[in-house]
Amino acid sequence: MTATSSPPPRTRGARRARGPRVIAPLVSGQEIVLLAVIAVLWVVLGFATPAFLTAGSLRPLFIEVAPIALIGVGMTLVIVAAGIDVSVGSQMMVCGVITARLLVEAHVPLPLAALVSVLVGAVMGAVNGVLIAWGRVHAIIITFGTLNLFQFVGRQIFGSQTVNGIPATLDVFGRGEPGQTLGLPHSFLLTAVIAGVVWWYLRQTPGGRHFYAIGGDALAAELAGIRVRRRVLLAYVVTGALVGLAAIFTIAKGTTTLDQSIGAGEELAVIAAVIIGGTSIMGGRGSVLGTILGALLVQTVTSGVTQLGWPSNLSDLFVGVFVIVAVGTDLLRQRTRRAAR
Amino acid sequence: MADGSGRAQRLAMTGIAKRYGAVRAIRHADIEVAAGSVHALVGENGAGKSTLIKILSGAVTADSGTIAFDGEPVQITGTTDAIGLGIATVYQEPALFAELSVSENIFLGRELRTGPRIDWAAQHAKVVELLDLLGVPVRDATAPVGTLSIAEQQQVSIAKALAGDAKLLILDEPSAILTDSEIDVLFGVIRRLTESGVAVVYISHRLDELFRIADAVTVMRDGATVGTYPLAGLSVREIAELMVGGILNEDRPARTVADAPPRLELESLGLAGKFHDVDLAVRPGEIVGLYGLVGSGVAEIANTVYGIEPATSGEIRLSGKAVRPTSPRHAQRLGIALLPADRKRQGMFAFQPIAFNISIGHLGVLSKFAFWVDRAGERRVARELIERLAVRTPSERQPIGALSGGNSQKVVLARQLVERPDVLVLAEPTQGVDVGAKEEIHRIIDALAAEGTAVLVATSDLPEALRIADRLLVVRGGTTIAEFGRGASQVDVLAAAAGAGEEAAPDGSEVTA
Amino acid sequence: MTTTAPSPSNPAEAPDNGGDAPGPLLRAWRAILTRRELLLVILLVVVLVWMTALSYGGYLTGPYDPDYLATSLVDAVPLAMLALAELLVIVSGRGGIDLSIGSIVSLTGMVFGIVHGLWGWPVAAAILLAVLVGGLLGAVNGVLIAWLGFPALITTLATYYAYRSLALVINAQKPISTPNIQSLYSLTGAVEIPVIGHDIPNVPLGVFTFLVPTLVVVWLLLQRTTYGRRLFAIGTNDVAATWSGVPVARTRLLAYVLAGVLAGVVAVYVTGQFASARPDAGTSGNGLALPAITIAVLGGVAITGGIGRVSGVLLAAVLITWLDAGILLMFEGNDGTQFQLLALGAVLVFCALLNSFTTRRYGGTR
Repeated sequence: MTATSSPPPRTRGARRARGPRVIAPLVSGQEIVLLAVIAVLWVVLGFATPAFLTAGSLRPLFIEVAPIALIGVGMTLVIVAAGIDVSVGSQMMVCGVITARLLVEAHVPLPLAALVSVLVGAVMGAVNGVLIAWGRVHAIIITFGTLNLFQFVGRQIFGSQTVNGIPATLDVFGRGEPGQTLGLPHSFLLTAVIAGVVWWYLRQTPGGRHFYAIGGDALAAELAGIRVRRRVLLAYVVTGALVGLAAIFTIAKGTTTLDQSIGAGEELAVIAAVIIGGTSIMGGRGSVLGTILGALLVQTVTSGVTQLGWPSNLSDLFVGVFVIVAVGTDLLRQRTRRAAR
Repeated sequence: MADGSGRAQRLAMTGIAKRYGAVRAIRHADIEVAAGSVHALVGENGAGKSTLIKILSGAVTADSGTIAFDGEPVQITGTTDAIGLGIATVYQEPALFAELSVSENIFLGRELRTGPRIDWAAQHAKVVELLDLLGVPVRDATAPVGTLSIAEQQQVSIAKALAGDAKLLILDEPSAILTDSEIDVLFGVIRRLTESGVAVVYISHRLDELFRIADAVTVMRDGATVGTYPLAGLSVREIAELMVGGILNEDRPARTVADAPPRLELESLGLAGKFHDVDLAVRPGEIVGLYGLVGSGVAEIANTVYGIEPATSGEIRLSGKAVRPTSPRHAQRLGIALLPADRKRQGMFAFQPIAFNISIGHLGVLSKFAFWVDRAGERRVARELIERLAVRTPSERQPIGALSGGNSQKVVLARQLVERPDVLVLAEPTQGVDVGAKEEIHRIIDALAAEGTAVLVATSDLPEALRIADRLLVVRGGTTIAEFGRGASQVDVLAAAAGAGEEAAPDGSEVTA
Repeated sequence: MTTTAPSPSNPAEAPDNGGDAPGPLLRAWRAILTRRELLLVILLVVVLVWMTALSYGGYLTGPYDPDYLATSLVDAVPLAMLALAELLVIVSGRGGIDLSIGSIVSLTGMVFGIVHGLWGWPVAAAILLAVLVGGLLGAVNGVLIAWLGFPALITTLATYYAYRSLALVINAQKPISTPNIQSLYSLTGAVEIPVIGHDIPNVPLGVFTFLVPTLVVVWLLLQRTTYGRRLFAIGTNDVAATWSGVPVARTRLLAYVLAGVLAGVVAVYVTGQFASARPDAGTSGNGLALPAITIAVLGGVAITGGIGRVSGVLLAAVLITWLDAGILLMFEGNDGTQFQLLALGAVLVFCALLNSFTTRRYGGTR
């Protein structure tokens, strides 16, 4: 490899007018491909069903995307560190029912309810994190177990009823006029902001970079002085906290009743979004931007299928195929790299 | 300082000893390294080099002895102590994070910051500075390290050590994986390091290289340092003599090998990037040794015969017929068996019983219709082989993990014998095996040859190669360069393998042995 | 996955307790921890005693007696069979697991329902087709994982998605319960065992027609055939397996195919059990894969591969079934289902931690 001295793009942190790039590019190749695929899909769907490219159908798309993308931000941290969390769906049930009941029965103001939801989520994330980081068991087994445990807790709190009469204060995250600014739903805007913060954290801070080291080789990371267990715990706690916030978004997009199906299957959508977004399931590589795009792609497919009048379950088939393609691409990249050496 | 150069003493280890249970890895070691010098450390496998290095890097602690660093007595009780002193080690396998950039790898755990962020510009500047110091071109500091070549990764590892303000850099067999031109670059880097006062401990089996780069050499033998000598005025042969210590070959009864057409022939065999133009022939009943230093290509040649990586040029012939083994399964069907070098990783099924370990891979002949396992037959074969190879175990049902190194190696060897192979390749047959079992395994190999098997022993254990082989081929630089018959001296063989006659003085001119 | 996963250590190197002969109590303790069947039998006895005591004390909403236990075995059949499928896949090593098994049940069930219920194929042909389709779906997993080297977890997650959607779409989400499907219910009803049947409770027919043959076949496959040996070899050390000439990719691929075949058989059973081919047969709620994996792990299957026994899986399946049956009686109405979730989750976490502990301390379970 020779010295590169091409004029750099406007990258953050580059203070000199010329000289090599000091920091990795903002957007990776895979993300550009994703963006292109989404754009193409939107255009195609726009032609196939004229209703697709209207605010009326695009805005609900962003509202649907928001909770998945938000949890996906946390899941990106988890998977980059070579872990996984399949209990997020059940976590959402718990946070959702607690929030709903606080709002309906205790008439707690929204900000406080949101705070409680986030804290409850963080606690559940901590349970996962502690068991995985200190228990030395595979994350998949632990989170399979906590999936059940949290679901039990959620059902207990639900008491086999639905929660009715959810107040209009949630509309600030909902579908109607109060829920949007500049045409974009608040939930999505908030998600984008949080995603931006985490993206910055992962790219620019030592702590963020350490997640990649842990995913690459946890033992070597430990030897390099990184507190691996704490980082892993943090990843799961953050994911839990984000689930808490996503629960609010999810309740807001529905009607005034909440039933036990909230969060069902959420973990699959989130994991699919993260993997399709280019994060490697083996760990050590991935980005939050990719996850957002992955979530958008998955939701585009889902909405598109509905708009085209196809059976709605068909979207899962497409998502499954996309995941396989994403994993295959990642494998190919790893193998060609090794061969090139 | 011993080398009379007037340089300050960077490191002095005196009276070091270390035992692991009953095994004395180091009996007595003394070494002095001058600042700004390149100090070579040589010795055969098992001489104690790696233990000495582990003590220095803090991975293990010495049982006795003192260490002085820059004149001050120090205690090294762990890796943090060593790092704190400025001792850094670069191993053959680059310990880098493939997905992180050069800059991140060098600064992992001690990132330069502005506020909460990493100061990329400052890190990059330092990377440029370090690489400049080492005399290598500045590369794209943002590219993931996994995209760099092995040589470049090694350079990053060295830069990383330097970034940690290393005062003593240990390089463990750095040239084993490099091409000739990459080695030139490495030597340039090492010279720049020493110019800035860093002391370099250079471990290598390639004795000829030492003359190009090292100032002094410490020889270890059987767990003790034999002495430290300036390289000027020494020759490869003399170093080899010191390493070997004039141990006479034990007399073995001469074996007569029937003069029959060869069963295994390799002609101009080559595998791109690993070895080339290898010629050898093994007659039935003959034991041919293949000896070379780490990285010489010996292991790869053995693996190619067994089909692990099919050859890209040349020919393999079995009893005159050209064959091309493409997988271990294929090789076995052709009648070639191989005892793998790394028993734990490539040979053993740890929890499984001995009988399982013996029959696996041969279930076709130990079953009915290749489907239903013939357990009685399996038991019978296992017991026969256990007896024949004198495996110490109460029953063939015992898990192999409960056996000692020597006994489990015999079990893995037994596996190769189930179907009476025509050609038996043994890769490092007594690695990690105690002396008693070593003897037994050698006798077993003799017996196998006596029965008519063509045996090829690929080993980096020189005494073993000399004891056991009827003919010994030396491999160097990926090709067979010399052949020795019975009664060859250890020194001769080692010298040939290490490059005698190819020494160059530091200024590049040739030196005659 | 995370490197916090334990790797089976060498039993010979496992730390000893100081070299003195361990006392009988310590030996018993160690035996319980390492011999999984022993632990399961003890737990089974505990559950039976506990539940029976509650029943006598009048705390349960129904009698916890041998009749009830026998009828509840209806649920043990599919769970045990799917757990055996997971056993095959997890034993094959390299992170082997099959999350798609529940949706294979759904999809093959629908195929079965269509050809037999809607198209009128004879039962035998329909069953054969279901089994073949199951094997094919498993082969997709196998090709991706064993041949192409895809990680098992995410791959079977993706196929779970894909197969589930196909099952729902194939008949527009409607179950199939035509009369000839409904008549299959007799496959799973309870029967009196001949000769001694008078004094013992009626056992569901499915136990004899589905479960027992499957147990026997899988046990024979693992313990007596060359394939079984190879499967354990690749799960124990697939590098050594390659060097010994074992066809690693082919062996592993077959494990996933067999799992699919078993799922196909379960699909037929479940269709009979509910007298209907349902598009969510294996995927309703949390799906059937989760309990199957839980039972396998409880039964002593090491998640890292190379270790697992049919007897352990069977005991674990019966234990979970009877535990769940008891829990159901402990609460009014449907509340019990929640506590079943709790039990399953707690059991999984507990025995995963236990497996990890015994592997590190004693070199694994036997």
